[in-house]
Amino acid sequence: MKKITHGFSRLLSLSFALLALVAFGGCDLNTKMSTFDVKGPIAETQLDLFMLTVWVTGFIFLVVGGVYVFAVIKFREKPNDNSPMPSQGHGNPLVEIGLIGASVLLLVIIAVPTLQAIWYTHDTPLNEQSKLGNWYTGDELSEDAEEEVLVIRVIGYQWWWEFEYPQLGINTANEMVIPAGKAVHLELRSVDVIHSFWLPRIAGKVDLIPGRANAMWIQAGDNFERWAEKTGADGSELALQAAYNTYLEEEIHDYYYGQCAEYCGDSHARMLFRATVVGDDEFAEWVKSEAEGHTAPEGKPWDEWYKAYDSNPDSLTGDLNEGAKVFMGRGKCIACHSVEGNPRALGVAGPNLTNVGERLSIAAGWLNHHDEEDVLQADKQYENFVKWIKETDVVKPGNLMWKSNGNGIGELLDPEDPDKIKLLTDEEIHYLALYLQSLK
Amino acid sequence: MSTVTETHEPSTHSKEPHVLKPERSNLGLMRPDHSKSVIIDWLTTVDHKKIGIMYGAIALFFLLVGGLEALIIRTQLAFPENDLISAQRYNQLFTMHGTTMIFLAIMPLNAAFFNFLVPLQIGARDVAFPRINSFSLWAFVAGALVINFGWVLQALEVMGLFSASGPTAGMNDFVPSMGWFGYAPITGKEFTGAGTDFWIMGLQILGVASLSAAMNFVVTIINMRAPGMKMMRMPVFTWMTLVVSLLIVFAFPAITIALAQLMFDRVFGTSFFVTAGGGQPILWQHLFWIFGHPEVYILVLPAMGIVSEVLPTFSKKPLFGYAIVVFSGAVIGFLGFAVWSHHMFTTGLGKVATAAFSLLTMAIAVPTGVKIFNWVGTLWGGRVRFSAPMIFALGFVWMFMMGGFSGIMHSSAPADAQQQDSYFVIAHFHYVAIGGIFLAVVSGIYFWLPKILGKMWKGNLSIWVAVFSTIGLNVTFFPMHFLGLLGMPRRTHTYLEGFGWETYNLVCTIGSYILAFGIFLLVVDIIRCFRSGEPAGDDPWDARTLEWATTSPPQVYNFGRTPIIPARDALWEHKHGPENRRIQYEEDDGHGIHMPSQSWMPMIASLGFVPLGLGLSLMQAGVAFMGYVAIFGLFMIALGVALWAIEGPGGYHLHPEEAK
Repeated sequence: MKKITHGFSRLLSLSFALLALVAFGGCDLNTKMSTFDVKGPIAETQLDLFMLTVWVTGFIFLVVGGVYVFAVIKFREKPNDNSPMPSQGHGNPLVEIGLIGASVLLLVIIAVPTLQAIWYTHDTPLNEQSKLGNWYTGDELSEDAEEEVLVIRVIGYQWWWEFEYPQLGINTANEMVIPAGKAVHLELRSVDVIHSFWLPRIAGKVDLIPGRANAMWIQAGDNFERWAEKTGADGSELALQAAYNTYLEEEIHDYYYGQCAEYCGDSHARMLFRATVVGDDEFAEWVKSEAEGHTAPEGKPWDEWYKAYDSNPDSLTGDLNEGAKVFMGRGKCIACHSVEGNPRALGVAGPNLTNVGERLSIAAGWLNHHDEEDVLQADKQYENFVKWIKETDVVKPGNLMWKSNGNGIGELLDPEDPDKIKLLTDEEIHYLALYLQSLK
Repeated sequence: MSTVTETHEPSTHSKEPHVLKPERSNLGLMRPDHSKSVIIDWLTTVDHKKIGIMYGAIALFFLLVGGLEALIIRTQLAFPENDLISAQRYNQLFTMHGTTMIFLAIMPLNAAFFNFLVPLQIGARDVAFPRINSFSLWAFVAGALVINFGWVLQALEVMGLFSASGPTAGMNDFVPSMGWFGYAPITGKEFTGAGTDFWIMGLQILGVASLSAAMNFVVTIINMRAPGMKMMRMPVFTWMTLVVSLLIVFAFPAITIALAQLMFDRVFGTSFFVTAGGGQPILWQHLFWIFGHPEVYILVLPAMGIVSEVLPTFSKKPLFGYAIVVFSGAVIGFLGFAVWSHHMFTTGLGKVATAAFSLLTMAIAVPTGVKIFNWVGTLWGGRVRFSAPMIFALGFVWMFMMGGFSGIMHSSAPADAQQQDSYFVIAHFHYVAIGGIFLAVVSGIYFWLPKILGKMWKGNLSIWVAVFSTIGLNVTFFPMHFLGLLGMPRRTHTYLEGFGWETYNLVCTIGSYILAFGIFLLVVDIIRCFRSGEPAGDDPWDARTLEWATTSPPQVYNFGRTPIIPARDALWEHKHGPENRRIQYEEDDGHGIHMPSQSWMPMIASLGFVPLGLGLSLMQAGVAFMGYVAIFGLFMIALGVALWAIEGPGGYHLHPEEAK
C-alpha cells in the first residue's frame, strides 16, 4: 500500500505540473480569438456575464466542495473503529428547503443580468453616431441609407464568406472592413449548409441557416457616450473627442480574426475570416477602391485590352498581361469570380477578387501572408497563390475550385502523374499568381 | 447452483429429481431451453441477467471503439496543421465517436445495469416481457452493426475495391460524417454520402431497441414489485430506471419522426429539410433536441441512481432525503423536455424564447444541486469506507459538480454565444460524461461485479484505474475550457499556429492517453475478476437493497420464494433494523417457479433490421439489388414476429430444493 501511495503522489504531482504548465506557462489570454481580450460592447457584455457566472459558481464550488471534502475526511472510517453504528438520519426538510432557497437566490443573481444582456445584444441600436449619414465620408448615399446603420450581408458558402455592403454597392470576400466605434447590422444567410459567424473579440456567434435570414449587430470599440461613461474622462468637447479618437486608433483599429463555428463539412476547419477595423476616412477610401475595381494591366482600359485579347492575344506581353490572359482564358477563373471594373469577370459562384492582392490572407483565412504587425509580405503572398491554385484540393478538400461542372482546376489531371494538374502549366500558374498579386 | 427439479404439470409436484428436457413449441419445433450448447443458450436467453451481461460486454467493446476513435482525434490535434488523417476521416471519427459513445456505449451500459439489477431490486423473477427483452438486445446489436458497417465499405474503398455509383456517387464517405447531431441540410444527399444513410437507419433501429426496452421496464417496475415494495420503498436506482424509461418513451418518438423525415428526404425525394423544396432545416434542430436534451438525462440519471446506492452503502447511513432525491430526479426528467432550445441559442430564436430557455435551463440546476447536497448530507455523520466503488462514486460527485458549473455558465444565453460550438462545450459535457457518467458506471461495475460474477475483484488495481482515469480526464478536459474561451471552434480537423492553442492541445492529447490507460486497466481488472476472482459471498458490502439478499451470482429464478418487503433499504433493515422489519418470504405453494421458455424468434425478428437498414442505405450508394435486400429484411422481421406469436409462451417450472 505504501508503494502505491508513493506512486500515486508522484503521478499527482506530475499531473499538477502539467496543469500548472497550462495555467501559467501557456496562460496568455490576449490571443487572436480570445473571448477575454474583447473590444466593443457586445463581447464585453458577454464577457461580464461569463465572469459573473464564474464568480457565482466559484463561490458555490468553494462552499459545497469545502463541505464535501470536510465530510469525506471527517467521517472517514478509522482503523479499528469500534464506535456504534452511525445515526440513521433520513434527512432534514428544513435543511433541504433552505438549500433550495439559497440555490434559487444565487441563480437570480445570474438571471437578472442575463435577461438584460439578451435584450441589449439582440436589437441593433439606432444611435445618431452610428447612422451612416453622420459618419460616412464617401460618395452620396440614398436618403434611406443615411438614416440607417451600416448593413453588411454575410453569406456563407462551403467554405468561404461573402460580405456584401448593399447600401454602398460593394461586395468582398473573407476579409470584411468595418468602421471603428459604429454599430453595424449584419444580415446572415447561407446558400448551402449551416455556418456560424463568430468574431470572438467583437461578438459571440450567430448561425447562418439556409432558408432563413438571421441578424445580429456588432460594434468594434465603444461609441463616444459609452467610452466617456466608462473612462470618466473630463474636459472640453474638443479634447474629449480627440481623446476618443486616440482610443479608437490605438486600441480598436486592428485586424480581427473570426471563424465558422458550425460544422459545415469537409473543410469546416478552414473556413476562417477577418475583420479589419478602420477609421471613417480609411473606410470611405476602401469603399471607393472596391467600387472602382481595377483597370487592365499597365493601366489600360478594359475595352482596349479585350480588343487586343480577342484579335491578337500574342500582342499582349509581359508578366501581368500573361497572367490576365490565363485569368480570362485557359484558367476559366472568370466563370466563377468577379473583379470590379473588368466587364467580363462577372462570375458569382466564387469570392469576389477585387483587391485580392491587398488582402492579408487567401483561401478563407487559411493561407496567410502577413507578419506579426499585419504587414503584407509579397513573397509569401506569391507562394500562397501558387499553392492555392496548384493544390486547391489539398488546402481545402472538397471545394468547388477543384471540381465544378468542368470548370474546376482539378478536372483535368495528368494521367501520368495523378497529383499534377494538367489544366494549367507551372508557368501559367506563375503568371496568374503575379496577376492576382497586382489586384490592389 | 443448487439442484433443481422440474415438472411439466404444475399441479403434480414430483419429488423425483430428473433432467430438464426441452419441449416442442406450438410450431412443432423444439424450444431452445436447457441447451447443452453455451452459445445457443446465450443467443436465445430470456434471462434478464444474461441479457444484462451481454449488454454490458457489448457496451464495453464499443466504449473501447469510441475511445480509440477519440485517441486518433486527439493525436491529430496534438500539433497545429497536423496531417495524420484527412479532414474527411477526422469528420467521420468525431461523428462516430459521439454516436458510438452515446448510443452504443453509455446507453447500453445503463441498460446492462437496468437489466441485471431492476428485477432483483424489486424482488421479481424477471422483467415483465422476457422475450421482448431479448428482442431489445438483438435490435441494439443490429443497429450497432448498421451504423458501423460504413467502416467496412470505407476500408474496401481505400483498398480500391468499392465505390459509390448511385444518387450519392462521387461522395466516397461511407462512414457517417455529419456529426452525431446530424444538422440538416448537411445530411442532405447533395452534401453527404451513404454514411448518412447508415446513420439514419442505425439510429432508427437503436430507437426501436430503446423504446421496446423502456416500455418493458416501465411495466416491470409498475407491476412486478414484490409484496410490500411500495413505490417509495424502491431503491433509488430502480426509481431512476423508471424515470429514464419514461423519458425514453416520450423523447424517442421525436427523433423517430425526424429520422423518418430525413430518410424520406434522402430515399424518396421529399423536402422536409430541403430549402429548395420549401423545407426548413431548423425544424431538424427542434425535433433533434426535443429528443436530444432528455437524452442527456437518459444518460446521466442512471449514473445518479448508481451513486445514490453506493454512497449510503459505504457510509453506513440511509440516503439523505430519499424522497427529495427521487422527486428531484423526476423533476430533472420533466424539465429536461423544456430546455431543448438552449442547444440553439445561436440560431436566432428571438429575445423571448432565448430568455425563456435561459431561465428554464437555470431552473434545472436547482434539482441537480439538490441531489449533490443530499449526497453530501448522506456522507455527513456516516462512516465512510474507501472501497473502490466508493472512490469512484466520490469522484463522480466532484467531477459532476464541475461539469454542472460550466452548465450554469451555458445557461446564460449571451455568455453562451461565445461558448457555443467551442471547446468550452466539449470540456463541459465531457466532465459530465466521463467525470460524471463514466465514473459512476465504473463505481457500479466495482459495486455489483461481485453480485454479477459471484467473484470479488482483486487487489488494488481499481485504485490505479481511479488514479489514471481521474487524472487523465482532468488533464484532457480542463484545458479545453481555456481552448474554447480562446476561440477554438469544435469539429475542426486542424488549426493554424499562432492562436495560442498549441500548448493546450498538446496537454489535452497527453491527458487523453493517460485516460485511455486508465480505461485499459479497468478492462484488465474486469477480466482478472472474471478469470480468477475469489468467491465474493452474497453480501460483501453490508449492503442495503434486495439484490444482495440472494445468492452471488443469483439463481436463474432470482429468489426461491417471493420476498415480502417491510421497509425501504430492505436488506439493511433486515440485518440492522428492529425485529418487525425482517424480510419475510411467501409460502411455497408447491407449484414451483414458473420460468419463461427461451426463443429464437426475438433474435430473428430483430436481426431482420440488418438487411433492412443496410439495404435501404446501399440502395442510395447504387449497389445493385439492395432494394430487394431491404424487402427481405422487412419480411424477416414480419416472419420473426409472426412465429414468435404463434409459437406460444411455453414455460416450465423449477423447484429450488432449498427455497429461501
